[in-house]
Formats: sequence, structure tokens, C-alpha cells
Amino acid sequence: MKLLIVEDNRHLADDITRFLVDSGFVVEQALTLSEGLKKINVYQYDLVIVDIGLPDGNGLDIVKEIRKKKIASAILIVTAKNAIEDKVHGLELGADDYITKPFHKAELNARIRSILRRNKFDGNNILNMNEIKMDTMAAQTFVHNKPIILTRKEYDLLLYFMVNRNKVLTKESIAEHLWGDHVDQADSFDFIYNHIKNLRKKIMNAGGKDYIKSMYGMGYKFSE
Amino acid sequence: MKKIQSIKLLSKTTLFYLIFTFLAFFLSAVFLTNEAEEFINDELEHRFNHTERKIRRQLKTDRYPDRMPETVELSELANIDSSAQIPLYSDTLIFNADLEEMQLYRKKTIEFEEKGHFYKLSVSKSLEDFYRLKDDIFGALIPAFIILALAIILFNSLLSGTLFKPFNKILSQMRTYKVGSETGVKQVTTSTSEFKKMQQLFHEMLDRIEKDYRNLKEYTENMAHEIQTPLTVIRNKTENLIADEAVMEKHASTVKTIYDETNHISKLGNTLNLLTKIENQEFSQTERITTRQVIEKHLESISELARLKSLKIEKQLSDQHVLNIDPFLLDIVIKNLLRNALHYASQDGPIKIKTTAERFILSNYGQPLEQGVDRLFERFFRENGTQTSQGLGLSLVKKICDLNRLTISYAHKDNQHIFTIAKSDEDLNPDIS
Repeated sequence: MKLLIVEDNRHLADDITRFLVDSGFVVEQALTLSEGLKKINVYQYDLVIVDIGLPDGNGLDIVKEIRKKKIASAILIVTAKNAIEDKVHGLELGADDYITKPFHKAELNARIRSILRRNKFDGNNILNMNEIKMDTMAAQTFVHNKPIILTRKEYDLLLYFMVNRNKVLTKESIAEHLWGDHVDQADSFDFIYNHIKNLRKKIMNAGGKDYIKSMYGMGYKFSE
Repeated sequence: MKKIQSIKLLSKTTLFYLIFTFLAFFLSAVFLTNEAEEFINDELEHRFNHTERKIRRQLKTDRYPDRMPETVELSELANIDSSAQIPLYSDTLIFNADLEEMQLYRKKTIEFEEKGHFYKLSVSKSLEDFYRLKDDIFGALIPAFIILALAIILFNSLLSGTLFKPFNKILSQMRTYKVGSETGVKQVTTSTSEFKKMQQLFHEMLDRIEKDYRNLKEYTENMAHEIQTPLTVIRNKTENLIADEAVMEKHASTVKTIYDETNHISKLGNTLNLLTKIENQEFSQTERITTRQVIEKHLESISELARLKSLKIEKQLSDQHVLNIDPFLLDIVIKNLLRNALHYASQDGPIKIKTTAERFILSNYGQPLEQGVDRLFERFFRENGTQTSQGLGLSLVKKICDLNRLTISYAHKDNQHIFTIAKSDEDLNPDIS
């Protein structure tokens, strides 16, 4: 899977690149709009991540260009929060999804996976981790090939862990992923603990191993 | 401040004009009648004297006139009563046989001596014609005044249409003008120098406001956007540290503080930016929204959390509760109020949400606020200084209510915190014209 990041802040671009490369993507960067436009016209990307606010123009131009030239790339736009006009406009122009700054890398990764799953139906809607298997089409979870029943939030949480395995997921990131800003974060931290406890129990009851590690009270890591 | 009843300028000038005209007419009427009175007196005296002289002349020659006009009475006296007021005038009504009506006469009585005889002479002269003249003055002035008054009123009301047209146009521009709309204001053509001046000042003022507004907007937008990228970088770097076990073993609490505070700034920036945008009325895609579905959608998304907190939610929603509001803003209001209720609710009883045609009422159980009920909607007010909340949620809600003609109020009753949003009855934006 090849991705292009169009983002003018080099630190941010590098950081995201490293994270996504770690997650198994091939990632290229463009620091300006013109560079981005040049790249999409020359190379083929599965997905393009575009920041709307670029120094030399509006990132939406890339969305327009991709849709106009019928380039087969999915698009994820990055907007400032509350800039609903940008979001709406971007989605109207043909972006697949949007994410608002500041975002968590894990969230970005989850969004990318979700777009790619939606856009391609060649069997990559199955996620595997040893004895745990998730079918995102049927929204089902299996441990040792036996289905287990998860609540909606437990399922979302496990999926978030599965696409971000070996990464530390902070509580903030998990809270935002599960509840958006419907909840005070202080409240939601207790609930995360609760959900993780239940999720662990369900997986282990089905004979699975406990892959969820607590990290210094700041977050969790899903790893072998 | 004492309320002064307002009157249209034109009505005011018309009224003053009418009062002055009335005074002018009244004074000239007084003057003219005085003049007429004097004229009548002079003329009558002249006629009396004429008749008197004629009688005296006759007495000199004939001793006693045998033929006398009807209006003259002459009698001989034995002596002259010197105490009598002489000459004596009196106004009387005398029957006129020809015209068959009573007519007003003035009678002059004098006593005099002629050739050793004393006489008393009374001469009556008709006043009718003179008084008719006096009445005619009034008769002419009153219709003249009425015609003039009507002309003034008519003229002014016609003028208000044409003369004040540019003024009213400028007023309506002022009323409908929205800062930052970038539509500009059309020049109103007028030859009235006062209106020209007003328009010029209005335009200058707009330019200044627009400039300030653009600067402020640019500033907040830049702040909000530009600050987010560095914050994302800091957060990402911090997350890298969190993932590094060697660092965390030594500096867990430091890293945690950096991470938490970075998140706090980021959220603060976003919310303040949102507040500014709302204040600038950038969310104006007003729609008629039946709130029921919206509320149910939000209740759905918090239902799980409510369950985890063992909180019951009782709803009683009406399809009659319809608001004219931007859907994005309505979402913020409901989201914030529900989040607030969920955060502070105790398990003494359910969170209750109820709508009627006029009101939205949300209540949750909890101890009364210890301080500053009146400061509840202020920015950065936190009960007991809780640092877990931003202290902006309720001020955001208040701001949105204010801008959408909704009144939000808070009360604590029966151990419940109750927020009520009512549609404002009073018209906050009365018609200027």
C-alpha cells in the first residue's frame, strides 16, 4: 500500500511517515501543493492525505485534480477543527473522509485502514493476530475460529488495537476514537478501563491470550 | 433611564408647524377684530354726530321737529340731570319689521340745551352690518387655517415618501448589514447634504469595522490553525516518548504532564475559535429543526456512558419543539448540556430531558452549586475550580442561545440542577422604521 502525505510541516510529515511506515505502508511526502499535484500526476497512490492549509494554496485543489483526472486514489483530508465549511466542501469534492487537527497518529492509521477496507473488496477485510481474527465486513470477532460476542464499543476498541498493534494508544486517543467529544475525557477514562477489562475477559474466556498491556497509566499497547 | 416616546421627525415638524400657524392665525384674528371694532366705533360715532347735528340744526330753526326718523327719540326735559353719564351708550335688540327679525342696534343718549330748552336725544343705529363684517373676518380666517393645515399635513406626508426615501434606505442598510458578509453596501443616491454626510460616515464606519473584523478574524483563524500543527507535533513527539519504555521508567509523570497540557491547549484553542466564530455569526445556515430526532441521536451516543455510570435517562420529547437554528450550533448546545449533565449527575435519580412546544428542560440530580450561580455561564468558570473541564461549555451554549433568540436559565430545585431553554417572547430586534 502506497500513501502520499501532503503536509507543509516537516516534523509532522516525518512523524506521520515514520508511524505509517511502521504500520506497513510505503509512504511519500510532499511539502507543498505544487509538489503534491506533481506527484499525483506521476505516481500511483492508494491513498492521499492532504492538509487543506498549505503555504502555496488550498489542499482541496488536490482533491479536485484527483477527481477531475479520475485518478484511482482514495483521499483523506486534514482540516482545522470547526472548519466545517472545509469538511463539507472537501467531502462534496470527493474526499473519502476527513480528520481534524490535532489528530492522534493511531486515529489517522485507523481512518486510513477503514478507507482502504471500504474501497477495496479483495479480502483485506479480515484482520488477524495469532488466534484472534476480525471480519470487518460482517463485524464479527473470532478467537481460535470461534465467534465471540462483543458490544459495539468493545468491537471498536479491539479493531482500534488490531490496526494499531505494537503502538501505545493513549487514553485520550482511545476516548476520542470511541466517543468523539460527546463525553468529558475525565469521565471516559474510567469507562475505557471498564471496556478493556471486559474485552480481556471475553478473549481470555475463549482461550485467547491477554495482549493488552497498560502503559504507565497513560495508555495501552496491544502486542505479543 | 426614562423611556421617551419616539415621534417621527416629520410628524414632529408638522406638529410644530401647525402650532405656529395656529398661533399666527389666532393673533391676526385678534388684531383684525380689534381693528374692526375700532372702525365700527369710529363709524358709528360719526353717524351719531351727523344725526345729532341735523337735529340740533332743526331745533335751532323750528324749535321742535315734527318729522323724525324712527330711530331717533327726542324729548324735552325740565332740567338736566347732571349726575347722568353723558353721553350714554347701550346695545339693544330692536325688532325689524321689514326683515322680521331682531337686530342689534346701538343707542346713544345725550342731553343738551338749545335756546333755553333742555332736551334728551336718543339715536339708534343698526350694528348688524358692522357685526356681519366682524364675523366675516373669523369666517374667512378659520377655513383658511383649516385649508393651510391640511395642505401642510398632506405635503409633509408626500414628502416623507420622497424626501426621506434615501434616509430610510440607509437605515435599512444599517439594519441588515452583517459584518464580514463581504457583500458591500450600495451607495444610496441623495442630494440632501445631511443624508450625504450620514451615508459617508456610515461607510467610513463600516470600513473601519470591516478592517478590524478582518484583522481579528485573521488573527483567530491563524492562531487556531497555525497553533494546531505545532501542537500536533508536540503531541506526536510526546507519544513517541510514551512508547519508549526507557524514558517512561524515568520521566513518566513529566511526559504525562506535557501530554495533558498539550491536549488542554489544543482543546482550548479549538473552543475559543469556535466561540469567536459563533460570535461573528459565521454559522448562519438557519433551518427549521424539529429537535426530537436531534436529541434522540445525542441520547443514543451517550446512552452507553450513562449505563456505565448507572444513570437513568428519562425523556419526554415533543414534536412541537421546533427551533430556527443552524444544525451545527444545535448539536453543540445539546452535546454540551448532555455532557455537562452526565458529568455532574449523581445517582440519586434520573437525568430528565423534556421538550414542549416552547421549552427544552434538562435536569440532573446533584448538590447545589457552592458558589457563583450567576457566574455559571461565564467563560472559565469552574465549580470548585475543577481542572478536568475547560470551563467553556456552558458559555458556548449561552452564546449560541443569545444569538438565536433563546433564553437559557438555570435553577436548583429539589436537589436537581435544571437548565431551561425557552424561546424568547419579546422581539429583540424591533423594526426601526
